[in-house]
Amino acid sequence: MSDLARPLTGFASMALADPFEIHIGPVFEKGARGSRSFAIRIDERHVNRGGVLHGGMLATFADLALGAAVFDATDGAPSVTLAMQMQFLKSARAGDIVQVQPLLLRRTRAFLFVRGDFTVEDEAIFTAMSTWKLLDQGHIDGDSGSNS
Amino acid sequence: MQAGSADDPYQEISLVGFNRHIGPIFLLAPEDDGTQRFVFTAREIHMNSAGTVHGGMLMSFMDVAMSKTARGASATSRLSTIALSCDFVSPARLGDRIEARVRVRRRARSVVFLSGELVTEERTLLIGTGLWKVAPSA
Repeated sequence: MSDLARPLTGFASMALADPFEIHIGPVFEKGARGSRSFAIRIDERHVNRGGVLHGGMLATFADLALGAAVFDATDGAPSVTLAMQMQFLKSARAGDIVQVQPLLLRRTRAFLFVRGDFTVEDEAIFTAMSTWKLLDQGHIDGDSGSNS
Repeated sequence: MQAGSADDPYQEISLVGFNRHIGPIFLLAPEDDGTQRFVFTAREIHMNSAGTVHGGMLMSFMDVAMSKTARGASATSRLSTIALSCDFVSPARLGDRIEARVRVRRRARSVVFLSGELVTEERTLLIGTGLWKVAPSA
C-alpha cells in the first residue's frame, strides 16, 4: 500500500466510483450511514504553486462529501448538484488532514439542502452549501447539473 | 477550429500541483471586451460514473480561470479565493471542448469581483461568481 493510500487513524478508505474522485483520492470515511464523516490527507497533487491547498480540490471534496450525505439520505436515488456556494476561510497545506461531517438541512419531495463545515485540527477552513435535485421525481430539461 | 484562429490554445497554464494533476488547461485569446478565455477537453479522468463531467472538475476549472483572470487584473500575484458560487446549468460529456469565459466585474483595493460561465459549443454548463482577496503589497 502506498503512503498516499494509508488510511487515517479511525477512518477507512472510501470506495470511490467516479473516475475524477479516484483521480484526486483517496478519501477516507468513518461513522454510520447517514452521519458519516469524510477526510482527505493533502499531498503535493492537491496544492498550487505556493504550496497552498487548491480551491478546486476543496470544491471537489465538498461535492463528493455532500453528495455522499445526499446518497445516504435517499438510499442512493439518482440526484444531481444544482448549485454550490463556498467560502474559503483559511489556507491549508500538504500534510494537513481536512475533515467534514456533512449536515442535511432539509429534504423535500424533489430537493435536498446540505451543508458542510470543513476543518483542519478542529479549526474551520472552508464551508460549502449545496442544493441537489432528485432525478426520479422528473428530470429537469434533460438531465441537468453534475451527477453524483 | 482553424489554425491561427482565436480559438487556438496558445499557452498551457496547468504547470504545477493540482492544476497539472487535472490539466492540461490552456489560455485562449481574450475577447475584445476584456473577457478572459480558457479551455480544456474532457477526458476519462474528469468524468463521474454517470457519464458526465464531474462537478468538482467544472468548479476546479472555474476556480483556475477566475484565479488567472484576477491575477491579470491585479498588480500583485498574492491573491486567494474567498468565495465561489457555481450553478450547474447543464451536463458536459466525454470529449467536450469546455471553454471558460471570465470577466472582472470590479477591482477594488482589497478584493476582485468576478463572474463567468463555462460553455461547450455555445451551450452553458455552469454559471459562476467569485470573490478574490488581494493581499497587501509587502
